[in-house]
Amino acid sequence: MHVHKYEKIWLTFGIGSLLVFLIVLGWGAFYQGTQPPSCLVTLNPQNVQAHNSFKEENLGVQQVGENEYVVNVLASAFNYDLGKDEEGAPVKKIRIPAGANVTFQATTSDVVHGFHLSGTNVNMMLEPGYISDYETTLDNPGEYTLVCNEYCGVGHHMMSAIVEVYE
Amino acid sequence: MSKQSALKQSSAHDVHEVEDIETHEEPNLKGTFAAVMFIGVFIVVSWIGVYALYMYR
Repeated sequence: MHVHKYEKIWLTFGIGSLLVFLIVLGWGAFYQGTQPPSCLVTLNPQNVQAHNSFKEENLGVQQVGENEYVVNVLASAFNYDLGKDEEGAPVKKIRIPAGANVTFQATTSDVVHGFHLSGTNVNMMLEPGYISDYETTLDNPGEYTLVCNEYCGVGHHMMSAIVEVYE
Repeated sequence: MSKQSALKQSSAHDVHEVEDIETHEEPNLKGTFAAVMFIGVFIVVSWIGVYALYMYR
């Protein structure tokens, strides 16, 4: 079969890029362990409080180790429940030290919500009945907006909270 | 026409066609090549950009 020399070049280029992309994908999935944030951990969306992580007193930042934190978040229209402060007012801003290992665990008690920590790789979809989790290290100090990026209803644009990463 | 001469004729016709293909000029694919490589390079560069952003954050 006769193949034009230009065709040979772009076939090589196309197959080569495909191989590179597949190798990077496989390396990320099997070596680095990258997986979807919602890995089939289920709970009853009508009774999320039955799950230990989403009990009223366990919401918000929990220090679980020397430099390890867990952030439990219960999303609902149109709010991120991060627990209550000493005065009983809802927490709208949480603080995490830079460089700490943080695991965000979140779920929703009503519709699908987004969970995006703007400017970082923390970006998940929260689906009723599933726990989404993301383990990360936030190295750059600053204030990050936790924002809903899945349209969830009329108050969608008001659904946000602040995560402050301090030195 | 005898069977043999008909065969001869058809094979001669085939040879003529083959010659035709072999001497056919190569199509000019310069523009196609440029367009294909432009899209290919665009895809690769955008992919690397997004990947770098992901790794940096």
